[in-house]
Amino acid sequence: MNHRLHRVLVIVFTIALVLLAIEYAFASEIQRIVSLSPNLTEIVFALGLGDRVVGVSNNCDWPVEAKQKPKMGTFWQPNTEAIIAAKPDLVVCESFLQHKEVAETLKRVGLPVVSLHAESIEELYNAITQIGSAAGCSDKAEPLAAKIKSELNQIRIKASSAKKVKVLWVMETEKLRVAGIKTFINEIIELAGGQNVIAPTGDQYPSVGTETILTSGAEVIIQSAMGTEDITKQQEAADKFWNRFANLPAVKDKKVYVIEADTVLRLGPRLPDGAMAVAKLLHPELFSQPKDQNQGDQTHK
Amino acid sequence: MTELLTPKSLISKIALCLAVLVVVMFVCSLVGTQKISLSAVFAGPGDTPGQNTDYDIFVRVRIPRIILAALVGAALAASGVVLQAILRNPLAEPYILGISSGAALGVMTAAIAGISWSFVGGSPMAAMAFLFAIGTVWLVWFTGHLAGGSTVTSLLLAGVVINAFFSAVIMLMTSLIDSEQLRSTIMWLMGSIGEKDFSTLLASAIFIIAGIAVLFTISQKLNVLAFGAGEARSLGVNPRKITLVAFALASFITAVAVGLSGLVGFVGLVVPHSVRLVFGPDHRQLLPTSALLGAAFVVICDTIARTIIAPAQLPVGVITAIIGGPVFLILLSRYSKKVGNLR
Repeated sequence: MNHRLHRVLVIVFTIALVLLAIEYAFASEIQRIVSLSPNLTEIVFALGLGDRVVGVSNNCDWPVEAKQKPKMGTFWQPNTEAIIAAKPDLVVCESFLQHKEVAETLKRVGLPVVSLHAESIEELYNAITQIGSAAGCSDKAEPLAAKIKSELNQIRIKASSAKKVKVLWVMETEKLRVAGIKTFINEIIELAGGQNVIAPTGDQYPSVGTETILTSGAEVIIQSAMGTEDITKQQEAADKFWNRFANLPAVKDKKVYVIEADTVLRLGPRLPDGAMAVAKLLHPELFSQPKDQNQGDQTHK
Repeated sequence: MTELLTPKSLISKIALCLAVLVVVMFVCSLVGTQKISLSAVFAGPGDTPGQNTDYDIFVRVRIPRIILAALVGAALAASGVVLQAILRNPLAEPYILGISSGAALGVMTAAIAGISWSFVGGSPMAAMAFLFAIGTVWLVWFTGHLAGGSTVTSLLLAGVVINAFFSAVIMLMTSLIDSEQLRSTIMWLMGSIGEKDFSTLLASAIFIIAGIAVLFTISQKLNVLAFGAGEARSLGVNPRKITLVAFALASFITAVAVGLSGLVGFVGLVVPHSVRLVFGPDHRQLLPTSALLGAAFVVICDTIARTIIAPAQLPVGVITAIIGGPVFLILLSRYSKKVGNLR
């Protein structure tokens, strides 16, 4: 073997070893993580950091182990004292007012805080990458983001062949509020082969009038479940509520569905599950497996 | 009534209230979600950040929060005393003349416009709340005087109308634009005492304490004003001038408090009346003792708010109302016979 080549190889090998050691040092550094938002908690767990989580918000309920973690106050009003007492070496939170105030106090104490803004699917990938690099596990973050991306892409490709279905996405019925265009729910609707019937609004989740609903021509109505009440009960209530719009195609064809809220309303690693559930409702002919998925209304066509 | 107040009894009452405040602040600094030991606190911050959590919690969370609560309480109670005096209305409170809706409009505007500059160390929310509160108060004063007539009635009327108008504008804004950011703004506005950095606290403390001090120097004239504008004039006090000065200062310290913590309700109404029932109506003592006891009151309420459903927290306004209401009613039933009437 050429002597020079040998030397180059040794140098390359040494550099690689040093880089590995640095990466390892960083990876082992973060041991105590506090997460203040349900979707960020899901990301942290999905990155395999679950056993290093020492605190979550009261609203963090997924995965199941997250429920057992010490509570750091509510999502809307985190408890700064409890967070400091948990001795975290990484705090992940969002960037709205209440979280920003807490983050500023924590930074004054000298604790590392990562403030994230995630309101679109693109920002979800970004959040995963940022948490990964802050926790020293970029090696896991990149594949996780890529996996979500490819799963969503598969749904998008499969749905793109079908005709676009007109969708009305209902957030709540008492004072009717729907998902507008400037939401990630709209992104899900579109990639699942649907089209939001709501025209652009200033409000992210506008409240709309009866007239708008009647003329929307919605072919499918999807209602994200509220609270912890049994989903079949909510389905019954929804059917009853929507009966007053008997002329709406979705109501006529009995395509009013109540679905689990967490996978579709939370920008986290379970988003592909949520998108798949939506796709099945919009294009059952393309997405439904032979085994029957008991999603929402069980009308035989 | 006024001749009963000797300098000695005034000083002793102020000293008593100051002692109450100091004790309350000390005790409340030891109460919290986490148990901390004072000896650990005195051991210092430690070499690496996050090493001595007791110190961090005490110095970075509890102390700033308690100071903030005290400042807000002092400002609101003092402002309540002054507004009740100049408006000659026992229902007057710091927010009555449009300060609340002005501040609300300010923070909404900041949230919607995404304003990010800051003002004397405050957040953009705080700065906008302050500026809009001051602006609204000026508008109320201006229209109140355009309307002419009795100063007091037209001021009150202008305040009520501008409050209602701005509330409508806020409703309009929230129905046009809604986002997580706006919702968090509304929550903040409902009264939120949090942790501020020391420079913000210091600046606010200077403004509020200076405001109360200047108000104290005109408290004798507020006594005279209570007899009515005509009487005041015959006693050599210019009612319009004194009303303007008192009104501007009361609004100023209220606006600072709103910028710090949103709208903490009930303090400006309950504390001055309670103190008046117990100590009597002389403004020379009513003003300083209300400020001190108002501070102690909000510190206690905030301590309850942050511990009672720990680790979650309640908005401090809920506690000020729930404690303030019954306490005030008890005082009213026990002392009103003794004093004769509210004023």
